[in-house]
Amino acid sequence: MESIPLTWEEVARVYGRKIYNFAYRLTGNPDDAHDLVQEVLLRVRRGLASYQPGSFEGWLWRITRNAFLDDVRRKKRRPTAPLPDEVDRWDIASSESADVEYSRISLGDDIQKALLELPLDFREAVVLCDVVGLSYEEIAVAVAVPIGTVRSRIHRGRKMLKELLT
Amino acid sequence: MTHPSELISAYLDGELTDRELSSLMDHLASCGRCSAELEQMQRVRTAIRSLPVLDMPRGIVPEADSVVVPLRRNKGLWAGVAAAVVIAVIAVAALVTPPPGSVSIDDLNSRFGARASLDPAFGPAKVVVPVQVGE
Repeated sequence: MESIPLTWEEVARVYGRKIYNFAYRLTGNPDDAHDLVQEVLLRVRRGLASYQPGSFEGWLWRITRNAFLDDVRRKKRRPTAPLPDEVDRWDIASSESADVEYSRISLGDDIQKALLELPLDFREAVVLCDVVGLSYEEIAVAVAVPIGTVRSRIHRGRKMLKELLT
Repeated sequence: MTHPSELISAYLDGELTDRELSSLMDHLASCGRCSAELEQMQRVRTAIRSLPVLDMPRGIVPEADSVVVPLRRNKGLWAGVAAAVVIAVIAVAALVTPPPGSVSIDDLNSRFGARASLDPAFGPAKVVVPVQVGE
């Protein structure tokens, strides 16, 4: 039987970091990521009461992506500030030395910028696969498309990233 | 020649069926273009997966009512339960403990006599009687 978190606080504890990383990689902006995580957790809180046992992760990531898409639509109607030039320069796990951190940050900068160049569908599929670590089947449930579409989006997204990074 | 390009990423992610895997392996054995693409895709995939995992900033979880209200309610509930438990323990202790029997003066003397002999503080109070010398 599937074990699901009982409260949204537990969802926040177990999945908060993943949701935050998903949000950050999709938006490239810490403030937007922050807002998105809060919005997702509020939606989870509202939705848990009526949650029907099934694929909890699929349900959670569907909520997350819907919250993200709603935010994108809202921003299209009301343009906001441009993305920051410097990303990843904050709040990285402090256990690493400054040098190692800096090299990872520099690498992350280029990849983050390239990710933001991808069409939304491709970026979402690549981030769910490579950042969040979902299987193709889980992504298909979250995004509500066939697995073949997930496969195509991930591959085409990576091909575009390769072009952008060279 | 048809290049099964989209199978390449799925192969790297372990998402191919046995039949697809076999078909891709056969193709790669004779196609330099797809072999090169496999290598490139592997590099891109590794690069994305090497992005640092960010910590969630503190205070990101909203202080919603569902956190505050149950905690207050629970606090009151637990305080009531704790008080009931203390009262019950005292009541049970009172029932179980035998009432003290009568204590004779001799008992008290034998109990405290030894201590009095060792500890001057337990000795008789020294009374100083003022003595008038001459008038």
